Amino acid sequence: MGNELIISNPLRALGLEEKTGGNAQAMMGLVMARAGLGKTAILVQFALDCMLLGNKVLHVSIGEGVDKTRSWYDDILSLLTDGEKLESIPEVMKNRMIMTFKENSFSKAKLEERLDDLVQQNIYKPECLIIDGYDFERNDKKSLEELRHFMNERGLKMIWFSAVSHRDDKRVSLDGVPAPCHEVDSLFDTVLLIKPEGDAMKLNILKCDSCAVDPGSILMLDPSTMLIKQG
Amino acid sequence: MSKDLSKVRNIGISAHIDSGKTTLTERILFYTKRIHAIHEVRGKDGVGAKMDSMELEKERGITIQSAATYCSWKDIDINIIDTPGHVDFTVEVERALRVLDGAVLVLCSVGGVQSQSITVNRQMTRYNVPRIAFINKCDRTGANPEKVTRQLREKLELNAHLMQMPIGLESDLNGIVDLVTMKAFYYDGESGEDIRIDSIPANMLAEAEEKREALLEEVSMYSEELMEALLEGGEVDTDLVYDAVRKGTLALEFTPVLVGSAYKNKGVQSLLDAVESYLPCPTDVTNMALDLTEDEKEFAVTNDPKDPLIMLAFKLEDGRYGQLTYTRTYQGTLAKGDTIYNRRTGKKVKVGRLCRMHSNEMEEIDSCGSGDIVALFGIDCASGDTFTSDGISCSMTSMHIPEPVISLAVIPSDNKAQINMSKALNRFTKEDPTFKTFVDHETGETIISGMGELHLEVYIERMKREYGAVVEVGAPQVAYRETISQRGDFNYTHKKQTGGSGQFGRVSGYLEPLEEGEYEFVDSIVGGVIPREFIGSCDKGFKKSVEKGSLCGAPITGVRCVINDGAYHAVDSSDVAFQLAAIGGFKEGYLKAKPIIMEPIMKVAVEGPSEFQGSVMGSINQRRGMIIGTTEEGNYSVVEAEVPLSEMFGYSTTLRSLTQGKAEFTMEFATFKQVPKSVSEQLVKEYQDQRKNG
Repeated sequence: MGNELIISNPLRALGLEEKTGGNAQAMMGLVMARAGLGKTAILVQFALDCMLLGNKVLHVSIGEGVDKTRSWYDDILSLLTDGEKLESIPEVMKNRMIMTFKENSFSKAKLEERLDDLVQQNIYKPECLIIDGYDFERNDKKSLEELRHFMNERGLKMIWFSAVSHRDDKRVSLDGVPAPCHEVDSLFDTVLLIKPEGDAMKLNILKCDSCAVDPGSILMLDPSTMLIKQG
Repeated sequence: MSKDLSKVRNIGISAHIDSGKTTLTERILFYTKRIHAIHEVRGKDGVGAKMDSMELEKERGITIQSAATYCSWKDIDINIIDTPGHVDFTVEVERALRVLDGAVLVLCSVGGVQSQSITVNRQMTRYNVPRIAFINKCDRTGANPEKVTRQLREKLELNAHLMQMPIGLESDLNGIVDLVTMKAFYYDGESGEDIRIDSIPANMLAEAEEKREALLEEVSMYSEELMEALLEGGEVDTDLVYDAVRKGTLALEFTPVLVGSAYKNKGVQSLLDAVESYLPCPTDVTNMALDLTEDEKEFAVTNDPKDPLIMLAFKLEDGRYGQLTYTRTYQGTLAKGDTIYNRRTGKKVKVGRLCRMHSNEMEEIDSCGSGDIVALFGIDCASGDTFTSDGISCSMTSMHIPEPVISLAVIPSDNKAQINMSKALNRFTKEDPTFKTFVDHETGETIISGMGELHLEVYIERMKREYGAVVEVGAPQVAYRETISQRGDFNYTHKKQTGGSGQFGRVSGYLEPLEEGEYEFVDSIVGGVIPREFIGSCDKGFKKSVEKGSLCGAPITGVRCVINDGAYHAVDSSDVAFQLAAIGGFKEGYLKAKPIIMEPIMKVAVEGPSEFQGSVMGSINQRRGMIIGTTEEGNYSVVEAEVPLSEMFGYSTTLRSLTQGKAEFTMEFATFKQVPKSVSEQLVKEYQDQRKNG
């Protein structure tokens, strides 16, 4: 069933499909936008892509529950596949695990402990990691560096973060990455920014070290579904 | 019974297993002169404690059923319910705390806060019950009341503070220093019945003063007068301190902690003083009822004996002479001979006899009023029913009943056992809402469900002892299903034409998987090749076929049966002939349709301390479970998974031992999924063996 899915393949759109294979260092990506503009929708599309390519995904959601996160996958998959639910595609379903934390109870140490529990007992070894809701304002560059190092040690191929930007905070990095990530953008290989412009929703590629696409390029999003459009 | 409600205390004694609740209650009854001799729970004299009246309780040395009694201490009337500590009997704690005003949380000075301590504390919080903590067994090696008090704060998040210091610990336990009166208490006499008050030993004085200062600073939060007195310096009136501690305790913001050893007769009388000083009387607690005439609008009961009667039945005992219903009166007065109304059933009942209970002994009384806990004799009702007088129609909210977590199949040894077992199950399910029974319509087995293996073990033993019903037990059968995985064609002729009236029918068509639904019949016959009157016969035949599959005998589901061709005979075709033709056609098509066996998959949620999450996930993984996700909430986490039902048998015991009893799980049906090949082969083999052996 997975092979029959018609999917926009956002990873291919960015030229990142090969990153899910081989022994390359983990690719760290960041999706930024103001609150409510579709960061989770983008992350879930990346996750579905990884899953359909046969990679195991660990979706860490900070501040949302398991059921809410699951429904994101169902909603997006349903849009892509004419009403199919993830549970009906068992070979894809087994490639996803969701881990949720309350905002004040997430830490690298806890994530490490949970991940090690899964890996050491041969329960689940993720290859792609989604961290949705990481608090960039409360955590410094060092914490992020430690997180990256930890991911590399555990053989992760791809890690995606989401970050909330604020209209009133005008600080940006040299690459145009807005606050609160303007000081840590060097740690990310790919930085995408969702920006509404009139009726359209654009996905600006601010940075993409491993992409086949040039920084400054723009992908379009369907504003009603937040799906990355083909071509 | 006391009319001055301020002199009444209704308390429960709850704790983890073996913390000493029943021993403590035994001492309380002795010192209040309700009993004249002390008998130990597992004593050599074999008599057993007063509150463990059931034979099984005495034999096993555990409390199985809660027991009510009453006593008087100084000028206070105390109604006590001693409850079991095993989580299997949690309904007893649930019902006791529902109707009581205060509680004593007993802890072992060595074990500290244990798994059931957490559960009973949660239950006390659920019903907003103010509590005192009693750190028992201070005579044990390793006793550490300070550590236990810290655990009360950290694990139970209680604002717990020691009101006393032990004089000596372990085998040197000699007495108690009271930090409010700043006196030392010694318990002399053969059974500690003579209290001697003395000054604090010199070597403890400095520490006692320091601890008292910290205690006063803490409790002054609940009393402006105390705070002013402290600011002014000088002597502080002990009544001010009692008052402040009481306020904090009643507001559920403070937990006084006392120490002692019930077994060694130390500290029990001080505990009774604390019950009087710190725990609420019935008028200190607001109890809410629902007005049934105003869309269940909440209102507070008045506790006034002159107001209409409101009474809650919280426990039943079905005995030889009829049902004994334990009740708590919240408002009004009830006298023998009065007529009352069961607000759930609407029925009127006349109260024949009223009793106060002293464990298993009944003492008849003429009336009862607000704040009293009494038993009504010979009234048929259910646990949680509200009784009122005429003129008021309301309901007290019932108690929380947890869902069973374990099931067993029970097979009576003979017909007589079957009859007796039914009687026993009827009674037990009536008395205990966490014990459930039903007959599985698919397998025909009688299934009993409860809160744990001990829970079910006790009932099976009681069935044998009290009803003479000997039963065998086993894991309940899993309700498998069969289905097809692809299209399977058939073309079957049923023919019996050997002379005389025969049978003939041919059906042709196919079976295919049905996406949603269990069964569908599609008639695609054209040209009348099968007469209309026999189309229904084909449907009947297919329906008979799906009742039992050929792989493992399980019902077949998710199949669409389509007929598109056939033939008939003008004389020999009949309803039966086409039914048999359809059955034959189904068999043929079924094997070609690559049938598979499916098993029920349960959605399982395991909640427990995060430190055990790894072990929990491992245990699920070992059971062919698929972990969907995990949620972290403070120190607790929830693991959600989908696990085959066949792998869940015995999981509650596994989970308890993996997590020291600190985790719980819930389970509900999710879906059916194909079984793995190894499981399928085993099921097929078992079915074939079963058929061979008849």
